[in-house]
Amino acid sequence: MKTIHKGQLAVALGVAALGIAILAGAWFIPDAAGYSTVGPAAIPRLVGVGLLVAAAALLWEVLRSGFRHHDEAAEQALPTDWAAFIWISVAILTYGLLIERAGFIVSSVLLYVLTAVGFGSRRWLLNAGIGAVIAVIIYVAFQRGLGLSLPPGIFKGLL
Amino acid sequence: MEVWNLLLQGFGVALQPINLGWALAGVTLGTVVGVLPGLGPAVSIALLLPLTTKIEPAGALIMFAGIYYGAMYGGSTTSILLNTPGESATIVTAMEGNQMAKRGRAGPALCTAAVGSFVAGTIATVLLTVLAPQVVDLAIRFGPPEYFALMMLAFITVSAVLGNSPLRGLTALFVGLAIGIVGIENQSGQARFVFGIPQLADGIEVVTIAVGLFAVGETLYLASKLNSAVDKIETVKGSIMMTRDDWKRSWKPWLRGTAIGFPIGAMPAGGAEIPTFLSYGVEKKLAKNPEEFGKGAIEGVAGPEAANNASSTGVMVPLLTLGLPTSATAAILLAAFQQYGLQPGPLLFETNPALVWGLIASFYVGNVMLLVLNLPLIGIWIKLLEIPRPQLYAGILVFAAMGVYGMRQSAFDVFLLYVIGCMGLLMRRYDFPAAPVLIGMILGPLAEEQMRRSLSISQGNPLVFFERPLSGSILVLAIAILIGPWLWKTLRKRNK
Repeated sequence: MKTIHKGQLAVALGVAALGIAILAGAWFIPDAAGYSTVGPAAIPRLVGVGLLVAAAALLWEVLRSGFRHHDEAAEQALPTDWAAFIWISVAILTYGLLIERAGFIVSSVLLYVLTAVGFGSRRWLLNAGIGAVIAVIIYVAFQRGLGLSLPPGIFKGLL
Repeated sequence: MEVWNLLLQGFGVALQPINLGWALAGVTLGTVVGVLPGLGPAVSIALLLPLTTKIEPAGALIMFAGIYYGAMYGGSTTSILLNTPGESATIVTAMEGNQMAKRGRAGPALCTAAVGSFVAGTIATVLLTVLAPQVVDLAIRFGPPEYFALMMLAFITVSAVLGNSPLRGLTALFVGLAIGIVGIENQSGQARFVFGIPQLADGIEVVTIAVGLFAVGETLYLASKLNSAVDKIETVKGSIMMTRDDWKRSWKPWLRGTAIGFPIGAMPAGGAEIPTFLSYGVEKKLAKNPEEFGKGAIEGVAGPEAANNASSTGVMVPLLTLGLPTSATAAILLAAFQQYGLQPGPLLFETNPALVWGLIASFYVGNVMLLVLNLPLIGIWIKLLEIPRPQLYAGILVFAAMGVYGMRQSAFDVFLLYVIGCMGLLMRRYDFPAAPVLIGMILGPLAEEQMRRSLSISQGNPLVFFERPLSGSILVLAIAILIGPWLWKTLRKRNK
């Protein structure tokens, strides 16, 4: 009895989708070939075809017996901790949203605390403290050492 | 002997106090990131790329190279003491070294790894010194078709030979090539896949991809899949020095490991896994008491560690002489050269000998520093293993986000980082290798350029690649590597 792994199927289809997207995008690149007879659209087309061929081969493996030389059973035996995944996703996305508004230090501390929560640590104050120390050190090192400034945000004028 | 004069000149650069400082900073940082799980040399160098705007090229490259081989030393400490291997290249050492540690022989295991790495690193640097000018002499005659053929060979070996599945390797390579296309194309000025987003017009930053795939992907995988698994740290009891018998059993594996590792690293194939496995197999076969293997045989640590280090120095041969990266870290090093507008290759040996030879000389210096860092000071690094996972990975993400944002101060890159991180998680889950993505992304645009140049020489005749004997034979070799194993298997099946 053959079982089709849904995840593997999704991966193969995802590669195919990327291939189609690249081919479709290459369609809109004006291909003005110079002396070399290949213009800027040639390589994107090749890459798109390559991705489609790879996707087809992956699909073939999935439909036969699953990815070759890949221990699917061992992966499935490990339970997926979705809560951890979501905490860390929120941590990174919040950072992206806040970095230019609240500034580097605030968003770094949040990133630190939320990631630590994702890994199961509930010592909020300790984590916030460590995160703040790291953030301030980086901020000052960037400012003094590199002359590049990270967004000060709410600490504008203080540091 | 011209080589030695050039090397001497190189030492003049490497021994300047400021460059000694950069080398020390590099190897120390390399040791730290090698020891810490989750933060490899590729990510670390990528995060430090903004430094290239402030430091002169020699200093920065000396430091980056120090991180590269320093991480090899540090990685062995982790694989011996911690039973979740830190780096893919050291899996065999993890097996044998961890067994030694379990039997209370962690000290000698660390010692043979460090001294073996030093011996192998130094011999490999001598070989690099001698070999590099020869390859440069050869490469000076290469035209665009030869470079294109070599790049194809590198693409195929890094994606189809290394790793568990050639198909998944090639898929990863094509994803990398696709990422490399984004942005304004060099020769025609044509925007590709930009969608009107200014951040995409400049191309996708290497840092974002390296950090996303390795640091963020790894963090997400560890948190969501392995958080319940508990690491077990072995303690180091007693002296770390090896006994007389240990030395006697170690020195031959060191030399054999070097002999296996350097050539494989120096070929445009690269990769540190194959030489370590080969060396392990050889030592097992040659051992007087092979039954000890798997239960902590010192030869099984000494050989693969030396092979690992020799091959990582060997990787510098194609990188410096041809501009051809054959590992993820080498690809990032190439990106570091590009930050300065430098392209490694025969021309760089001509135009900037002080830089190239200074860099090579710094390998000798760095290896000595690493021996000191990893023997008397080993206790400090072991402490790093005790950082609890939540605090460690939270810190890694803070640095990762800072590096990606700081590269060009764009929040867009942070969101892109998250997307790439999720891709890294999926790739880890379904066992797709990450290195081909980076190599495809960095080497892809260079290969496209060489292809265009070749075709404009030949006025569009695609046979140009096969008409020139050298590029023709390299391409045939690449094709043979790609379809050879499959062909062989099919033919054998038919004969049965």
